[in-house]
Amino acid sequence: MVNNTVKKIVNGDVMTAAKLIRDIDDQVPETREILKALHGYTGKAYIIGVTGAPGVGKSTIVDQMVRDLRLNGKTVGILAVDPTSPFSGGAILGDRIRMQRHSLDKEVFIRSLATRGQFGGLTQSTLSAIDVLDAMGKEYIIVETVGVGQGEVDIARCVHTTVIVVVPGLGDHVQAIKAGIFEVGDIFVVNKADRPEAERAVTYLRSMIGLAKKEFKNEGWEPSIIMAEALNNKGIIELLNEIEKHRRSKKVGDILVAGKRDSARIQLTEMIKSRLIEETLNRITGSPEFEKYLDCIMERTKDPYTACDELLSAMVFGLSLDPCSAPNRTSNHPDEKD
Amino acid sequence: MKRQTDYGYEIKPVYTPKDVSDISYEKDIGDPGSYPFVRGYYPNGYRDRIWTRRMTAGLGSSRRTNKVLKKYREMGQTQGMLVIHDRPSAMPIDADHPMGRREAGVLGWHGVSLLEFEELMDGIPLIGQSITLLGSSAMSCMRLAYIVALAEKRGIDLKEVHGSVTEYPFCHTFGQTDHMPLDLNIRLWLDSSEFIIRNKIRMRCGILSQHFQESGGNNAQALAVEIGQLKELLGLLVNERGLDFDDVGLLPYELVSIGSRFFEEIAKVRALRRMYARMARETFNAKTEKACQLLISVHTSGRTMTYQQPYNNIARCAIQTLAGAIAGCTAIDNACLDNAHAEPSAFAARMSLNTQHIISDETGVTDVTDPLAGSYFVERLTNEVEDAAYKILQQIEKEGGMIAAVKKGYIHNMMYESARKRQKEIETGERLIVGVNELIIPPEDDDDIPIQSLEASDSEEIAKRIEKWKETRDMSILKDKIAQLYKDAKKDRNHNLMPAIIEAVKAYATAGEIMGVIRMAHGFHYDPLEMIDCPFKLS
Amino acid sequence: MGDRRRIKVLISVIGLDGHFTGAEIVSRYLMDAGMEVVYLGIYQTPEMIVSAAIQESVDVIGISSHASNYDQIGMLLDLMKQNGLNDIPVICGGTIPRQHAETLLKRGVSKIFPPQSSSESIVNYITSIVKR
Repeated sequence: MVNNTVKKIVNGDVMTAAKLIRDIDDQVPETREILKALHGYTGKAYIIGVTGAPGVGKSTIVDQMVRDLRLNGKTVGILAVDPTSPFSGGAILGDRIRMQRHSLDKEVFIRSLATRGQFGGLTQSTLSAIDVLDAMGKEYIIVETVGVGQGEVDIARCVHTTVIVVVPGLGDHVQAIKAGIFEVGDIFVVNKADRPEAERAVTYLRSMIGLAKKEFKNEGWEPSIIMAEALNNKGIIELLNEIEKHRRSKKVGDILVAGKRDSARIQLTEMIKSRLIEETLNRITGSPEFEKYLDCIMERTKDPYTACDELLSAMVFGLSLDPCSAPNRTSNHPDEKD
Repeated sequence: MKRQTDYGYEIKPVYTPKDVSDISYEKDIGDPGSYPFVRGYYPNGYRDRIWTRRMTAGLGSSRRTNKVLKKYREMGQTQGMLVIHDRPSAMPIDADHPMGRREAGVLGWHGVSLLEFEELMDGIPLIGQSITLLGSSAMSCMRLAYIVALAEKRGIDLKEVHGSVTEYPFCHTFGQTDHMPLDLNIRLWLDSSEFIIRNKIRMRCGILSQHFQESGGNNAQALAVEIGQLKELLGLLVNERGLDFDDVGLLPYELVSIGSRFFEEIAKVRALRRMYARMARETFNAKTEKACQLLISVHTSGRTMTYQQPYNNIARCAIQTLAGAIAGCTAIDNACLDNAHAEPSAFAARMSLNTQHIISDETGVTDVTDPLAGSYFVERLTNEVEDAAYKILQQIEKEGGMIAAVKKGYIHNMMYESARKRQKEIETGERLIVGVNELIIPPEDDDDIPIQSLEASDSEEIAKRIEKWKETRDMSILKDKIAQLYKDAKKDRNHNLMPAIIEAVKAYATAGEIMGVIRMAHGFHYDPLEMIDCPFKLS
Repeated sequence: MGDRRRIKVLISVIGLDGHFTGAEIVSRYLMDAGMEVVYLGIYQTPEMIVSAAIQESVDVIGISSHASNYDQIGMLLDLMKQNGLNDIPVICGGTIPRQHAETLLKRGVSKIFPPQSSSESIVNYITSIVKR
């Protein structure tokens, strides 16, 4: 079963790959075995992250990049990440709209993902999805994210080149991007550069880059700024050339040659984190002791802080547990005072 | 049930003189025929000029639509005709395009070449009635070129043709089929508009709020969007093309969508006349009265026509048509009882035209001008919708004007939120719609109505005809004209493309070819859907 | 284990139809009901919709049609069969005359929602047909 799936994916079977990514996203445990087997086929793709606030034209830039990469005969995979609604848990994934002209191109695979937002799941499932596209043999993988969460900063740190997109006249857009992401930016694109405030945006960017310069210097790469009008296909070739330059630069060379240690560290940490949280949490909240502690808290014979300490000591660190026999201290609730 | 206008003004049970104490008749209202034209442009209203009573036509081949137009003439539609595009020609792509052949003739007329226009107009006069062609911004220049070419062929002085064949560049923002990039549409809009004005052709250009409103916008937003686009577009003609506003002001006409909330719809139209007149004078220093008068046509609202119990739509159509007539307008085309199902059947079209004639000839509504003026309620509503619209207009201007607001998605979001609100009100029963959320009957008990439909084979036939016909054209002339057009299109933004387009149209170049070449000159793919390549060698 | 399955729906307007409001409003309903919606927008051919449905691995396809292009919905059904997507239900919304609606249901569309259908009816229907 696992072997068959792996074989199909390595041979580029779109349906199988798509279903696997769905299962990864839904955190189906069986996917782990397949991912383990796929790992040997990964590591060949060049991975580009494209990040920026909503409305700056990321999808249009990605769409145009795909067009030019395809003209050069390169195969491309795209992961477009959109935020999950914190209220409903649902999401509208609309990035494909701008890329649908590539949907009939057999060498392009486009996949939308929702952040889903819990326990760093985004990072892990996105990294796994990158592995799937990589194993399929895509030469370039573009990951598009709205750079606002920690998960997205982590993704940006795992790719080979991080492109950050801004538009003129939206200082707050730049600020809306999580500060950490600025430091991982390799190339900055000022999109919609036909707008009058474009020059000011460049000046602003230069100063922001200047502030973070210390980190950059050590890496041997000075972040560059590209002016673009993605809608009119301006600046895209320049962007791809710059990405190529960055690819050849020392920093990326290091990453590629030294086996992407940083990326591996993040992936492994994320994996441990999510399994730890998921499995431990399920074990604790599903136990009869958990319910007993809830009763105690309701009866005010125990406070939630102590309950937490005791549950963790017992169920994670293996100490003995007896929730209600030993009230931790007398109640100090005003109503119960005599 | 909500007793509120769609833009949120709470309606009181009774209105009294106190509600209009802030209004000065001379300054704010005025007599019919005088500034600020709240009461209309003619001192004697419809006694001076009755509105054009017309129906939308367009389905299938040009010959089929031609037959419908002739039928409409028999039904009494002789003042003016209105034809809309099918989907491929609205894009525009030709019927022999892989996607064009699937939908040629769907929802309209496949007007992609002069040949199609000649067939459409076969035996139908080009003058003596208003010629209105609608349905796509991108096609404006093409339609204008058809008029120029056919007038020449028939030996008619172009100045004798009247009507409207050009349209504002925002169609696709409001749900219309049209796949030209906005900036290119704006440039081509400037070209067709400048051509009309400089040649003193009696052609209007549709700068409409109807599509916006039919896609969800409310009354106050519709006014704001209408004034917002007029301000910016007319401003471009004055500033970029160096035209005099007193000429520019004669260009636009508005197609306003009229729903069933009778008094509110009338108030909206009255407010619009005043808002435009004030803008013309205050923003553009209009010197003539004509330039302060926005021509207003009425479209009874398609979105209010229900799928369920379609015959109820006859009543809706009558109420809305009456509102349009009382509000004062220059033309009405009404959505039919089958609007939520298909293009108008002959039965539905006759019902609609007859409704207009019942109102104009039987009710006495045409005897008196602006009969609701002075009503405490209607005057209050007129001011309320205007105030609400000015607030929204301010927001649009804060976004940088209409073009910027469209590009930023501001207008789209406004329309979307408004549509959502209306849908929610229907779901919660705050707004009642007979047959939808009250007095519902099981679907199987519902009435079947005659449906005019188009078969896939009809589209294929149009496609095959075009394929064959294309080969019969004189390619050496055509290639020359296309080459010239490409050269002109590469020149700067203010170089008018109309002359080159007219030449290419006369050589029977199609919309797909002409617009494709213009697209290429601007760095876009020849085909808006990127499926076919340019058949011409261009340099 | 925690159930992380979300219902994933593809929503698209088909053919050269430019009317997007209905499709956008329905997309929002589904998001509010906790579903993930891959929204394709306008000018989508049956081929493009099938390709997106495969790449996105969706549970349901929802097509918005504003008069007259139901032939393409038929083409979509045929293409889905050819591509082995028989298990993905197709639902339609919009102005589809009754006569044509019956034909489409016979050809394999699982449900047609006429204009003004309530959000609840759409959400409930999708939830009921998605095999868990």
